[in-house]
Amino acid sequence: MNVGTETLAGHTVVIPAGRVDFNSASEFQAQLERAVGGARAPAAVIVDCAALEYVSSAGLRAFLLAARAAQRAGIAFVLCALQPAVREVFDLSGFSRIISVYPDRAAALTHVAQGPP
Amino acid sequence: MDQPSVSSRARAAAPGITPRDTLAPVTARASGAPRRAVDGLAALLLQGDGRWARAFENLILALIVVSVASVGLESIPALPAWAVQALRLMEIIVVAVFSFEYLLRLAAAPDKLRFIVSFQGVVDLLSFAPFYVGGLDTRWVRMLRLLRLLRVLKLRTHLLEATVGRRTRELAEKNDALERAQAQIRSELEVARALQVAILPATFPSRAGYEGAARMIPATTMGGDFYDFIELPGGQIGLVMADVSGKGVPAAFFMAVARTNLRELAAHHTTPGACLAHTNEVLCTQNPLDLFVTVFYCILDPASGVLRYANGGHNPPLLRRADGAVEALSGAGGLVLGAMPGVGFPDHAVQLRSGDRLVLFTDGITEAFNAADEAYGIERLVEEVRVHGGGAAAALVEHICHGVTVFAAAAPQSDDITLIVLSFDRLEPAALQ
Repeated sequence: MNVGTETLAGHTVVIPAGRVDFNSASEFQAQLERAVGGARAPAAVIVDCAALEYVSSAGLRAFLLAARAAQRAGIAFVLCALQPAVREVFDLSGFSRIISVYPDRAAALTHVAQGPP
Repeated sequence: MDQPSVSSRARAAAPGITPRDTLAPVTARASGAPRRAVDGLAALLLQGDGRWARAFENLILALIVVSVASVGLESIPALPAWAVQALRLMEIIVVAVFSFEYLLRLAAAPDKLRFIVSFQGVVDLLSFAPFYVGGLDTRWVRMLRLLRLLRVLKLRTHLLEATVGRRTRELAEKNDALERAQAQIRSELEVARALQVAILPATFPSRAGYEGAARMIPATTMGGDFYDFIELPGGQIGLVMADVSGKGVPAAFFMAVARTNLRELAAHHTTPGACLAHTNEVLCTQNPLDLFVTVFYCILDPASGVLRYANGGHNPPLLRRADGAVEALSGAGGLVLGAMPGVGFPDHAVQLRSGDRLVLFTDGITEAFNAADEAYGIERLVEEVRVHGGGAAAALVEHICHGVTVFAAAAPQSDDITLIVLSFDRLEPAALQ
């Protein structure tokens, strides 16, 4: 797993690539927490999952903890561009019901620009 | 190192003769004081790894090089008088130091004769003795001093070997300790794995026409899968298939907490959705590590064949009809338990018919990877169920577990593999009598 970070219109974009499984989950969690910790509302954290190939339950936990931390800090935390297999994991586990998921960066950006619904 | 040095070092290590405390005050005390002073000095200067010994060794080394070089200088015909004087003075110093060193080694040697006739002893002697016999013009003999370099080089190699040997021993000791600790952790994990399997129900409650079989193969790292069969009021049976996020001891503990709560709350709720919602509330308050668990929970009414279920983030079970058609149970997508309080879990129902097989599983099966990093996948599982699902529940369990094991082959099993098969075959009237 590799994790890149970009800034887009003042928001932090986290770009994980590869597999987030038991072995890489804690590293990924640390990266997400750094992104959330470094963001100041109304800036948001967008996780662009286009290159994310696999998420295990330990990986889901990293997303959950980051989403909680963002909620506490009043920062929007959204995902975008999930591959079908990853999307399925988010749907089956019910995570796409508690974390906003968008088809692409543009949609995610529109959402965070509008503020929470 | 040669014999004399080893023994002087050994003596230095003996109690009461350490270099530091022998030299100064001891002389005035005992009758053997001069003897001990010599021993102390030998230990200080000749013992291999002390600061003084290193300095003395370097001094000897420098003198050897200087005296050998001076042989070359002296052969220059028109050397100024002052240079000749300086070289002579240097030679006297060299001889004095070498003599002192020789006497010290001799005094420290436990077997004097052996030292004198040893190769190093002879070389040491030849490096200065000709001076006393033939005066300063002993150039060819002085070339012999090069041989003395051997001693120093040998000493250096020996020291290096001793250091490497010591480090290797220390490393081996640490490795041993580490291996012992790992062995203990491994054996405790083995016990935990055995317990994890042992606390799961071994048999499915007996109901006419129904058979249940289950299997759980714990991962080497210990996952958090569990299943359960729960006797409910009115002859109903609760079936649970669950998977805790993460691995190891935390997952195993959370599994125990989740299973205990679910089992207890199942008796108090008539619908699976209400039971999951209540269990979720409890787990959210008993979850210091922020773990979560996916749970499929269903209640079978054996009399009617109605199966009511709710799904908390778990892989939807497969239902194989008598004609071989396989479908995933609808209603997936409920949230995992332990992640967030205040969540509802909708109830669903399906009517079982004679010949049906219900297959509940965890992602340890679909996400079993082989050496080529390829997942077993849902398609293979569906195909196995379709082709081999017509027989007994236990046979299908064995068949699927065997298939997954063969597929993964030598690849390490990173997640628990857990499976339940429930079969329903309405008994013929003849068989009932």
